[in-house]
Amino acid sequence: MDKVLYGIRDLVVEYRTRVGTLSPVDHVSFDIQRGEVLGLVGESGCGKTTLGKALMRMIEAPGVIASGQLLFDGVDLMQLSRRRMRELRGSRISMIFQDPMTSLNPVQRVVDHMTETIRVHQPSTSLKAARARASELVDRLGIRQSSLGDYPHQLSGGMRQRVMIGLALALRADLVIADEATTSLDVLVEAQFLDLLRELQAEFELTIVLITHNIGIVAELADRVAVMYAGQLVEMAEVHDLFRDPKHPYTQGLLRAVPNIRLGRDDLYKMPGSPPNLIAPPRGCRFNPRCPQVMDICRVRDPAFELVTPGRRVHCWLYQDQPEIVSEKVQARL
Amino acid sequence: MTTTTPDAVPVRPPLLVDENVGILRRIWRGRIWYGAEWYITIFGALILVFMTTMTLMAPRIAPYDPNEFVGAQFTPPGRGEQALLARAGESPVGPGADLTGLVIGVQRNQNGVNLARQLGANGERFQDQASMLEALQAGQVDLIFVSQEKVPDALAEQPGLAVVTGNLGRDFLLGTDNLGRDILSRLMWGARTVLGVALMSALLSSSIGISLGLISGFLGGAVDRVLSLTMDSVYSFPGLLLAVAMAAMLGPGLINVAVAISVIYIPTFFRVVRGQVLSIKEELYVEAARSIGARPITILARYIFPNVIPSVAVVFSLNVADAILTEAGLSFVGLGLPPDIPDWGYDLSKGQSFLVAGHWWMVTFPGVLITFVAMGFSLLGEGLSEILNPRLVKS
Repeated sequence: MDKVLYGIRDLVVEYRTRVGTLSPVDHVSFDIQRGEVLGLVGESGCGKTTLGKALMRMIEAPGVIASGQLLFDGVDLMQLSRRRMRELRGSRISMIFQDPMTSLNPVQRVVDHMTETIRVHQPSTSLKAARARASELVDRLGIRQSSLGDYPHQLSGGMRQRVMIGLALALRADLVIADEATTSLDVLVEAQFLDLLRELQAEFELTIVLITHNIGIVAELADRVAVMYAGQLVEMAEVHDLFRDPKHPYTQGLLRAVPNIRLGRDDLYKMPGSPPNLIAPPRGCRFNPRCPQVMDICRVRDPAFELVTPGRRVHCWLYQDQPEIVSEKVQARL
Repeated sequence: MTTTTPDAVPVRPPLLVDENVGILRRIWRGRIWYGAEWYITIFGALILVFMTTMTLMAPRIAPYDPNEFVGAQFTPPGRGEQALLARAGESPVGPGADLTGLVIGVQRNQNGVNLARQLGANGERFQDQASMLEALQAGQVDLIFVSQEKVPDALAEQPGLAVVTGNLGRDFLLGTDNLGRDILSRLMWGARTVLGVALMSALLSSSIGISLGLISGFLGGAVDRVLSLTMDSVYSFPGLLLAVAMAAMLGPGLINVAVAISVIYIPTFFRVVRGQVLSIKEELYVEAARSIGARPITILARYIFPNVIPSVAVVFSLNVADAILTEAGLSFVGLGLPPDIPDWGYDLSKGQSFLVAGHWWMVTFPGVLITFVAMGFSLLGEGLSEILNPRLVKS
């Protein structure tokens, strides 16, 4: 079996709006290994969620996947018909959403959600068999059997999020994309949820993409981390390497900005500036206006997302051979 | 728990929706929870029950045939009983005797003829009271019928008269109209028409409006734009004017009137449903449904439509109220139903011309009922919208 489950190649998502075209996912390439937990971190608005949706080919108008390949288990999802793609969603790739309060249909009971998920993909399954499977699933998730007949509003946030994982696992999906799945849970429930996720991951050999802006969760759960800034991946590394030795100035800033009880109250690092306007991103490296180590080349040319040490790729001129800066005039002619 | 509750906020017992109690008790408990809205809703519902009963029971409880000329014209409410009069001293019969073969004078009054037949006598009609009295004095008839309330006047005018029997026949609780038809019976039968037309048109417009709204909101794009434009242009017509035009085009008839009325309410349903679909479409659970690979038709039918229903229910009952008024309006201008179908709006418009002559009962009762029923449906709709709309629930 191929080690790589999902290869993303040069993915570009564009939103064509009246004020201009913006690309919240801009030429992103990376691999997702079978059975790993890949953390995807970045500020709000950096394109994490869009990337997550793009992985399921669920970008809605006015957005569009402008180019790139989505090689899932050897098949390019971009080539699939809408029908085939639909069959894939839920059965092989599934998603857990940010807000468990609103991600369940208020007029369907828990059991209906589960049987529906099963029967969407296996229409031949009898309602009884689907119910039986829902009941097993609920046991595994630590939800009371009696909750099967409950409507979503009768459940707590943590329970709802468990139901959401249940839906993601109902058909033994290979890849689960958890989009800010714990953001709206309180810390205790969050810890329980993460434990459950870890157990399930081991048990079902799940591959999980964990989208979050909470660095702590990534440190806790992820095997590898991808850092995203303004629609681009800026750094990707093993979780320990990244925390021990962040290479990209943005990653460094991000890690310094995590609150720490040992630091004084006013010592929390605040990254200068704000994320760029994606309709008119800065020339060169998109991080250059906020970068503390900015060089001339950064303002002119965008670096590549290159392997700098084994297992680590960084999108920064600091770690790459810099070409000579050509003058503006020559640049214009090129 | 109670200690943290400020004094100003009364502690309400929980609404135990899941507790295994009867539906009636559950409704009864709702009053504590919903307060004023509950009373409004129940009041509306009671009116609805009253209407439905009247509709279903009309053949049994209506005292007369609604289309037959059963009484004297313009009999005031609570009147209509007859007294049997004869020449004083030479009465052919005593009270309760056999009247077979006798001739009774009746004053242009169908009810009297029927009454005479019931008593075994023959009725003979006269133009007015004076000619009838003359005929009695001349011996052309043996007895005469006079309205109970006119007996003292008749006796004062003609000293040679005596009352044989009083209080014959039934009275008319709400009086009779210009043709001697019983208004109460007409109202009872008319309830069928009104409710039938209003519900039929509301059903028709809701089924069209809801499906178009679902399609338009869900598909979006060109379909949405075309449908919205069409609906907006229908909506921009004054409602009653459009209904009048439609009714004139389609001609009279129960179904035609329902269709004419339904046309003007389609955009209302369309707009509400479309708006709801547009917002529900963005809900996370719809996206979640897509992420499990549900087909668009499944998403529409099982995720979007059920969540639209609460707002539609409210619009529906408000529209029934409005349709009742429109139906009455159509009948009022003479574009409603054929004259042999009893109808409140028709009675109202007919009665209007006799109001100046003092026959107030012909307009009052249909008018009151129209107001009452339209109000009932409105209250039901308003109450439901308060109760069903989670955003309006007081914490």
